[in-house]
Amino acid sequence: MSELVINRVFDAPRDLVYRAFTDPDQLAQWFGPVGFHVPRESVDLDVRTGGHERFTMVKDDDPSFTSPVNATYREVIENELIVGYEDVEGMPGFEGIVRFESRIEFHDEGDGKTRLVIIQSPHNEDILDDASAGWESSFTKLDALLAA
Amino acid sequence: MATDRLSMIFAALADPTRRAILARLAEGDATVSELAEPFAISLPAISRHLKVLEGAGLITRSRSAQWRSSSLNPAPLREVQGWMEHYRRYWDVNLDRLDAHLRRIQAARQDNDPQRNAPTAAQPPETEKRNPS
Repeated sequence: MSELVINRVFDAPRDLVYRAFTDPDQLAQWFGPVGFHVPRESVDLDVRTGGHERFTMVKDDDPSFTSPVNATYREVIENELIVGYEDVEGMPGFEGIVRFESRIEFHDEGDGKTRLVIIQSPHNEDILDDASAGWESSFTKLDALLAA
Repeated sequence: MATDRLSMIFAALADPTRRAILARLAEGDATVSELAEPFAISLPAISRHLKVLEGAGLITRSRSAQWRSSSLNPAPLREVQGWMEHYRRYWDVNLDRLDAHLRRIQAARQDNDPQRNAPTAAQPPETEKRNPS
C-alpha cells in the first residue's frame, strides 16, 4: 500500500503513448494536474538511461506558483519502460521522503490499445540506507488490513 | 534519521518482519513470544521491531511488565493511505488529460492522412463532425 499503482488502458498504440511522455512538445500539451500547465520552454528531456527530465508546472491563475520537476531517468526502454526518480528532500508535500521513484510501463494490449501501469513509491532515508529493506515486497496483508 | 511522523511510519513499514507483525496483530493482541514464533529471530530482535512500530504509533504495548502484549493501532496507516491517495488523484486527473491528448493527436493524424481523409477532404478540418445518434 505504500506503493501507488495506477493501471489504465488507452485507446492508442503504444508508440503514441510513449511519445506523449517523451516528446517535449507533447508533454507540454497534457501534463499537469487541473489548474496547472507546463510551458513548452520549461521542458528539457534527455530520454535515455541516466538522462534527465526537467519541466515546470505553472498554476494557470497565478503564474508565480510553480512546481518544478527535476528527475533522473534510471532506466529507459523505448516504447516499453521509463523509470525515473526525483530527490525531493525538503520539498513541501514530501516531508520525510528523500526520493520519489516512478515506474511507467507501456504494455501493448492489441487492437491499437495500450495499458499504462504507473508505480510510484516514496523512499525515505532508512530505505536508501538499507537496500534490502524490502520496500518492493508485498504489502498485500496491509492492504487487507486497511480494507477491513 | 528522519523524525517526522510520516517518515517514521514509512520507515516502520519498510521492513517485511514488521509488516508481518502488524498483520499478526490485526488478528488480535499478542505477547512478544507469540509474535516471535513464526520468525527465526531472537526475542530481543522482535522487541526492537516492536519498539520501531511503537515509535511510529502503529502499535501500543500494555504496561504490565510480565505479559506485555502488543495491539495494533491502525490510525497511522490511514495517514499513509491519505498521502498515497493524494498522488492517486493527481495521476487520475493527469491521465484524463493524457487520454484527451491522445484522442486529439490521433484525430489530427487521421485528418492528415490523405487516403483515409479522401471522402471528406473538401470539408474544413476544424469542423466538428456531429454524431447522428
